[in-house]
Amino acid sequence: MTDPRHLREPAGTTGPSRTGAVRITGLSKRYAMSGKSMTVLDDINLSIRPGEFVSIVGPSGCGKSTLLRLIVGLDTDYDGEIRLDDTRVAGTGLERGLVFQDHRLFPWMTVSKNVEVALLKQKLPKERRERLIAEHLALVGLSDFGEAYPHQLSGGMAQRAAIARALVNEPRVLALDEPLGALDALTRVKVQAELQRIWMEAGTTMIMVTHDVDEALFLGDRVVVMSPRPGRIARVVDVDLPHPRDRASPLLHRLKDEILGELTREPREEDGTLVSFPARTRS
Amino acid sequence: MSLRLRSVSLALLFPALVLGWWEWESRQGAGHAYAFAPLEQVARSLVEMLLDGRLLLHAGASLQRALTALLIGGSIGIATGIAMGLWRPFDRTAGPIVTTMRQVPILGWLPLVALWFGNGDGAKLLLVSLSAFYPTVLNTQKGMQAVEGKLAEVGRLYGFTRLQSLRLIAWPSALPLVFTGISQALAFAWIATIGVELLFSATAGLGTEMMAAQVAARTDVVLVCVACVGVMGFALNQLFALLRARLLRWQPAPGN
Ligand SMILES: Nc1ncnc2c1ncn2[C@@H]1O[C@H](COP(=O)(O)OP(=O)(O)O)[C@@H](O)[C@H]1O
Ligand SMILES: [Mg+2]
Repeated sequence: MTDPRHLREPAGTTGPSRTGAVRITGLSKRYAMSGKSMTVLDDINLSIRPGEFVSIVGPSGCGKSTLLRLIVGLDTDYDGEIRLDDTRVAGTGLERGLVFQDHRLFPWMTVSKNVEVALLKQKLPKERRERLIAEHLALVGLSDFGEAYPHQLSGGMAQRAAIARALVNEPRVLALDEPLGALDALTRVKVQAELQRIWMEAGTTMIMVTHDVDEALFLGDRVVVMSPRPGRIARVVDVDLPHPRDRASPLLHRLKDEILGELTREPREEDGTLVSFPARTRS
Repeated sequence: MSLRLRSVSLALLFPALVLGWWEWESRQGAGHAYAFAPLEQVARSLVEMLLDGRLLLHAGASLQRALTALLIGGSIGIATGIAMGLWRPFDRTAGPIVTTMRQVPILGWLPLVALWFGNGDGAKLLLVSLSAFYPTVLNTQKGMQAVEGKLAEVGRLYGFTRLQSLRLIAWPSALPLVFTGISQALAFAWIATIGVELLFSATAGLGTEMMAAQVAARTDVVLVCVACVGVMGFALNQLFALLRARLLRWQPAPGN
């Protein structure tokens, strides 16, 4: 199916768009592991507004990647419900994009070919396709690298190319799974600022998993804190600051301490479950 | 002495020693001179064969035979390898057959092939093609199964059709192994070409010429042919390595 959005509004000319609302209700996910069933996500409820940036943090193994894979439809075996603008998610679709931690560019294609193949399903005329590719390479600052092969790019450039590929279909929602996790500290700070600008220009709803609390707070309108075994939403923190943000803001520092406290809190053993927190979801 | 110069002179040292020993052997009486043709005579034969076009004729015939067989055996091998990589039941049927057949050395088929197809050019081509078939089929099959699940997921994300996944993901990721198969096939086809020519002397070819020279007690001509086979095999290998590097330029340099 062709996503008609870009036919109406070219990227960057309108503010946050009307579409791109994600509503997750009663979502649970189990994996069968050596005969035993293991609950990875347990009763996840989360509503995301169109154009919102939501960060997700949580200890490794708490089901963050699983949650994103369910949202984009790479995995369709779950209980509960995931809706995008009132349509139930079933399988992959161009209206939902994903950026992986490893860029996953095809090594045998140039950067611009990598972006182009993402458009295959749309069957656009050549000129339109070329314009979209050029626009999105410009959006991530790679206009001069269209003919480069992935192995010729630095880590930060490859990740930006992956973001261009994910955005070229102008998805209503973009999931990012630790997209900057493999970058060195300095590059990461730069790409964070890039990502913030891209998000503000494109107006796409973004859901980003990260293990870096500073990053989660710098970018997110809200930060979802998850707890493990089974994966649950422990807390949702509002970050009430306009974008673009100042990293030195005292509010960010206060919230960071709060979230780190949450993440390092010892589980209580009383009833065999982990501590559960009152503020589960907001909408 | 620069490092490069030193490595070149080291590389030449051993051949120079062998040639010196050869020349010494050839001067140890008539019997020796027969087995170890004097270098001067070998050089004279080389010039003679170059001038009367004999060397070009035979080398050309062998090269054409090897490359034709590579084309036939290689393309059937690649096609079969793709089918085996994509379709499990076919892999289970064809795999054991190919593996069993491969245990028989190429020349082991000679009596049967001669019986069925005679000893003409067709029979030679069949055997050389078979030698090019094995490495291409096995490497292609392995390559097609080496598709990374992670990249296949990208195809799912963007709604690739089965054909698009095959053309844009599975085939390119198999290419490095396919090329390994072709370069092995090239080497095997060259060796097999000379082998069948030695045993099936009928038309032109370096192997045929070698056999004729041996019968005519012309060790010098045999030597010219042997050297020609070696040099040509080496050159083919180098040329193919260049082609491969060009076509796989998207690969990161090794150790990167
Ligand atoms: N395909 C799978 N089969 C079985 N278990 C899996 C599979 N994928 C993930 N898991 C398990 O699910 C849990 C959550 O994994 P994941 O979503 O990758 O966590 P996170 O991204 O938060 O680190 C882990 O315990 C992991 O071992
Ligand atoms: Mg993960």
